[in-house]
Amino acid sequence: MIRLFQKLWEDFKEYFILVILLVISLVLISFNQNPGVRKVRAVAFGTFAAISSIVSDLINTAGLKNENEELRMTNAELMLQVNRLREYGILNEELKRLLEIKDTANFPLAPASIVSKALNRSQSVVIINAGSEQGIRPGMPVINDKGIIGIINSVSGDYSIVRTLKNMDLKLTVKDERSRVDGVMKWNGTDLVIVNVPKTYDIEPGDRIVVSELSSIMSLPLPVGVVKELSKIETGIFNEVKVQPYVDFSRVENVFVIKVVQSRRKNDLELNFFNTR
Amino acid sequence: MLQKYVYPLLIFFPVLLLQTTLVPFASISGVVPDLILILLVYYTLFYGQIYGTVMGFIFGFLFDIITGSLLGSAMLSKTISGFIAGYFSSESKMGIYFKSYAFSLIVLLCAVIDSVVYTFFSSIELNTSIVQVFFSQGILPGLYTAVVSVLVVFFHPKRSFD
Repeated sequence: MIRLFQKLWEDFKEYFILVILLVISLVLISFNQNPGVRKVRAVAFGTFAAISSIVSDLINTAGLKNENEELRMTNAELMLQVNRLREYGILNEELKRLLEIKDTANFPLAPASIVSKALNRSQSVVIINAGSEQGIRPGMPVINDKGIIGIINSVSGDYSIVRTLKNMDLKLTVKDERSRVDGVMKWNGTDLVIVNVPKTYDIEPGDRIVVSELSSIMSLPLPVGVVKELSKIETGIFNEVKVQPYVDFSRVENVFVIKVVQSRRKNDLELNFFNTR
Repeated sequence: MLQKYVYPLLIFFPVLLLQTTLVPFASISGVVPDLILILLVYYTLFYGQIYGTVMGFIFGFLFDIITGSLLGSAMLSKTISGFIAGYFSSESKMGIYFKSYAFSLIVLLCAVIDSVVYTFFSSIELNTSIVQVFFSQGILPGLYTAVVSVLVVFFHPKRSFD
């Protein structure tokens, strides 16, 4: 019997090893949400991120001149916009006072830089140099000047992993800014799409898409992108709306974390996409 | 011993550093070459199938845990890629692999399988067509990785196989 096993092992050891390693991998996939695994991961990515932040600092320094010029231009454009918004702001304050609506639009921002990126077609994540010591918590939205980038997935002391919009595990409730139509947006591996949108809904190419206040992950109206095209028009009763994100995920370097997490009551909802997946 | 087991692990970390810092700047429509896979195929061709399978498992584990990807997904895909690359491991053919572009073709095959398996296990949805996954998420990253692997053929010392 032992000889038979020895012979089998000798003849097929490559396959045995392959199967054993594949089984271990599959088992580990199911242990992803385990607190122990999360702790080990936080230590591992925190240590590596400390090294990669040095490299990314060097890379960022090389592009500073161009970035400065872009920022000056953005600054000038923003100055003009701020002037206009200030006028609206004064008017808004007056109207709110008349209607007795409380102002809630005040969110603390934490600046951070991206120290490494793991970009692939299905699960893009980035690591930023701000962590629990800076008050960052899982679930906080990450933005830059263009719009939303993703949400914090896990944190270590000084670093955090951000799940970007180009990650199939992140689903976000968004709305068409013009027509106020809501829908669930996700990354399908090639495009950002709002799925199962009835054909009767008023969504057109060029419409701005922002995060919906119905979102259980974040309910700030952060810009997401513009509608690129509507597909699957020929078949079925639903459209699939392709969205062109404002953020270029491969080029983004500096970000801000909005230091708000949804209310506990909202987080405990059964249909909260961030918790359930 | 040192060359077989320690060097690949020592090289892995700088390559991962490149993969996560510089390589994203070379992305084309979100597709990036997989330098870790090139490293895996390179060493597997030298040291055989069992070595490639185990090294793929270790590389995948380190990649998953460091980058924050779904733990187990890269382990699975890199283990299979190392196993496939191991079929081409042959001392007598090493000259052929590195004097021609056969190395890149092996990388292409392994990278396509790696990408498809990775996508399938990390994020496949029930309504996604496997053919669509194969083309959009297998062929494109595989081709890009194979093109980059030409650099290995180009810079590899040819005299070592004479």
